[in-house]
Amino acid sequence: MLKGKGKTMDRKYESPACKGYEALLEDSISGEIGGSDAVRLSEHLKSCPGCREAREHVAPSSRLLRLAEASADPGPGFARDVMARIRTDKDVRVERGFWQPLVSMGWRFAATATVALALLVAYDTTSHVQQPAQETATLDAVRIPDIFSPDPARVPSSRDEVLMMVAENEHGKH
Amino acid sequence: MPDVPKNVAASASTVAIPLSRRSKGEEERDLVRLAQNGTEAAFEELIRRHQQRVFALVGSILRRREDVEDVAQQVFLKVFISIKRFDLRSAFSTWLYKITVNECWDYLRKKKVRPLVYEADLSEEQVSRLDGIVSADRPVRGASEQAEVKETLDWMLAKLPEQDQQLLILKEMEGFSVQELAEVLGLNVNTVKVRLFRARSRLMDVYRRRTGPGTKPGAHSASAERKR
Repeated sequence: MLKGKGKTMDRKYESPACKGYEALLEDSISGEIGGSDAVRLSEHLKSCPGCREAREHVAPSSRLLRLAEASADPGPGFARDVMARIRTDKDVRVERGFWQPLVSMGWRFAATATVALALLVAYDTTSHVQQPAQETATLDAVRIPDIFSPDPARVPSSRDEVLMMVAENEHGKH
Repeated sequence: MPDVPKNVAASASTVAIPLSRRSKGEEERDLVRLAQNGTEAAFEELIRRHQQRVFALVGSILRRREDVEDVAQQVFLKVFISIKRFDLRSAFSTWLYKITVNECWDYLRKKKVRPLVYEADLSEEQVSRLDGIVSADRPVRGASEQAEVKETLDWMLAKLPEQDQQLLILKEMEGFSVQELAEVLGLNVNTVKVRLFRARSRLMDVYRRRTGPGTKPGAHSASAERKR
């Protein structure tokens, strides 16, 4: 590899060409150079063996690459296929578009119903857990004395005593 | 909605007639406007105008013929869906080629396709035949020679970095201009020129190494093996 004076080398790729002239060399290889650029490059090439070598090295590349044919035109069938695919896709989108509001409304309804059901179940579960304590409290508050349970200490011995006990209990209520 | 001239805002059959008197750029803008307004014939015409370049671009990135048509179709489908958002500030082709490049990278990422690898070497016969064609500056004769030249070139290109391959294929085989390459790849024109020059140099290194005196005699089969 040549290393002429004034060469700025690419760290990854080391070309013998001067960095500032690579674009002009490319124009020259592609035949797209003219005017002042052509004069500038030709002046430079006279005094730069690195650029001359680089130019000679790459010169056959165009010829080499153009030996291969360009990719073939896919033909009018391709455009027709694409349009058919677009139409199918559009039909699908149109169909989807027609039912879409109903479908989304249905989903919204289903979601709301699910949330409501979940709330009801949750409420029902929590109320069942709290109920025994409340019931006890209520029963305690309205506890009625059991006058018929046999109390051996207070078993009436006569009809009068029975009447007296009933009268006492009735009096206690008011 | 963009203004569409009355004489072109018509049905499929009338698209070509008034457009023929306009410049290519104006024609294309009108076609784009019509396509934006939902004229399918205008979009079909846009596909016809650009399909070969899109194929070339996809082919230069994917390098697998079986995938090229699928990806190219997908590109035009995406373009159709988003054409209303295209603001006509840049050329339609630039926008289209950018979509193409992005679609190719998406495809490669999704499929996790590895680049084409040629394990086998070229035969001495192939190398000397190619050298003969290049040094004699004669055209390629017949389909079998064309196929062989293509295989040899593919082998050589596969030895280069992917970006070099893409640049060389698009510029030399598919006829993209430096300006177009700069737009497609999102690079400065000068950068494209420098990269092209270096890519050429690397290609010629591979070529000279293979055709030069250091070439091993009796090289193996040239069949290229595609590895996924």
